[in-house]
Amino acid sequence: MGDLHHELKQKIIDALELEDIEPADIIDGEPLFVEGLGLDSIDALEIGLMLLVTYGINLKADSEETRQHFTSINALVALVETQRSK
Amino acid sequence: MSELIVLSRWQQRPPDHRVATDLGSAIDQRSLELRVLGWIAALQMHPGNRWAVHHSDSFEFLCILLALWQMERTACIPSDNRPATIDRLRHELDGLVGEFEDAKTVTAPREDCVSRERDWIVPQAESIALEIYTSGSTGTPKSIHKTISQLECESAVIESLWPSQADSVILATVSHQHIFGMTFGLFWPFSSGRAFETRCCEFNEDIRFKAVHYPRFALVSSPSHLGRFSSSIDWAGIEGRCDYVVSSAAPLARADSLEVGRLLAAPVREIYGSSETGAIAWRLQQPDQPDAGWHTLPGVSLELGAGDRPLLRSPYLGDVESYELPDRVEFDPDGGFSLLGRADNIAKVEGKRVSLAAIENILITSDRVKQVKALTVERARVETACVMQLSPVGQECLQMLGRRVLIDDFRKQLLQNFEAVVVPRRWRFVEEMPYNRQGKLPLENLRALFAKTEALWPQVLEREVDENQVILRCLIPPQLIYFDGHMPERPIVPGIAHVHWAAHYGLELFPIHGHFERLEVVKFMQVILPEYPITITLTYNDKNGKLSFRFESDRGVHSSGRICFSR
Repeated sequence: MGDLHHELKQKIIDALELEDIEPADIIDGEPLFVEGLGLDSIDALEIGLMLLVTYGINLKADSEETRQHFTSINALVALVETQRSK
Repeated sequence: MSELIVLSRWQQRPPDHRVATDLGSAIDQRSLELRVLGWIAALQMHPGNRWAVHHSDSFEFLCILLALWQMERTACIPSDNRPATIDRLRHELDGLVGEFEDAKTVTAPREDCVSRERDWIVPQAESIALEIYTSGSTGTPKSIHKTISQLECESAVIESLWPSQADSVILATVSHQHIFGMTFGLFWPFSSGRAFETRCCEFNEDIRFKAVHYPRFALVSSPSHLGRFSSSIDWAGIEGRCDYVVSSAAPLARADSLEVGRLLAAPVREIYGSSETGAIAWRLQQPDQPDAGWHTLPGVSLELGAGDRPLLRSPYLGDVESYELPDRVEFDPDGGFSLLGRADNIAKVEGKRVSLAAIENILITSDRVKQVKALTVERARVETACVMQLSPVGQECLQMLGRRVLIDDFRKQLLQNFEAVVVPRRWRFVEEMPYNRQGKLPLENLRALFAKTEALWPQVLEREVDENQVILRCLIPPQLIYFDGHMPERPIVPGIAHVHWAAHYGLELFPIHGHFERLEVVKFMQVILPEYPITITLTYNDKNGKLSFRFESDRGVHSSGRICFSR
């Protein structure tokens, strides 16, 4: 497991104060929303804020593209790797 | 102030009038008329008066509504298009139109054989135009009727208080499927001749992304989005362009209101209202004043009724003369009032109304559940949570399948019926429900089960992982469980915790297969106090199975030693 994968999982757990979930429970390729981890639209806002504050990532594009970035840990890692400014 | 053309007379606008926008491109009155005709043609093939409407595009949604009203039919608006929601309403409906996962849905307008001419009718002012559904306190959804004249009257009252700027485009982060988004994002702008953006902004970045297309805009939002506005988003390009922000669904924290007002350089108007009553009151926070009170809209009044419940009179209540509000209020000497929370078993989570009874009613149908209590707890946000006493079958499942699977099953069951935001994500399985001596189940006893757990581990800020060395930079949290009673005057991290943490992270990060056997050369040189920044260095020697640890900080080395694992 890559370092950034683990880091993002931990940051999501911390940002959302998730219970009963460890980084290892979050599968890299599985959906984060609805099925899979079962996150919701408010969580998406929190994750967006976390990306901005932690990695300086500004989600410039439209909702459709943002939704693509948020599909899984793998997609988020790709986003952070290409767009981080801190 | 722009001229108000009421909802029932919308055809009076000129053909090139801009009705809606989509990322800068305009949709005009002519397109609207054609689209309404298309939906009429599609709907005419099906009989029946009562139609469920759901569409993610605000322009299409409005066209469907106008089409139904031309046909003197009623638009029934569920808050979501979940299959279970529709199943529950199905017996009251004649058909579905828009976006539903149901084969019989009327999904698109007819573009062929649409006559461009039609004798438009003016819908009867007192006919039922809308039926909306909301959580009732018993758990059964309640339906609320609105006539065209109620909707028109509400827009007129709002316009009289805040006259519209004609060139302003309306952006929304809230859906038009709910009454606030419908009134402030659709009906009022449409009647006052302002264009609305067809698509909702899901993320705060979307607001900027859409707003850059327009010289002026207004924002219809809620505390969920406004509470997460960040100064890190570059609002600079659009700050002078915002006419106003309007927020509803729940009170907006004063600090959030002021921050949004500062970032967009616009007034942040809050609306207090409900599906049953429409808008009731408004407030505007000021930087130099304490929490602002609420003031009723023009023509609306509030007084204390029997049983201290506030009694509302309003020109758009329909055929009831007054309405008793479910909220508790306190009147201020200056004629305003403060809100003190709801008086019934309905909770609000991120502005969404949810009946705790309805959550309980669904869970109790499972043979795994003996008793269940749903409640709200306040963490990073207000959330729902469940305290549950399992049945013997449920106990067995917990042992066989584990906690996560059991919780996942309950959540899946609830997601059929509720939006994800209101589905509990904190669960406590108890042997006995926490009744008090009077045999009551006080909320505090339930909430106590969700009190923040004390920290067991340091807060890891950064980690560097190599093949045989790990460096963890951490902070010692002040609420660490080991501080309890460990030197009452002066809390310190006990030595055993150093060893325990080293072993824990070693086992997590290195391929160690054995188990803890003994310690070697352990030294405790200096104490570690709460909130110290500490670096933990772990080195693992695969050949002899020894894990070396060192805790250090600016103050020097605190401890070091070796843990030997069995081979």
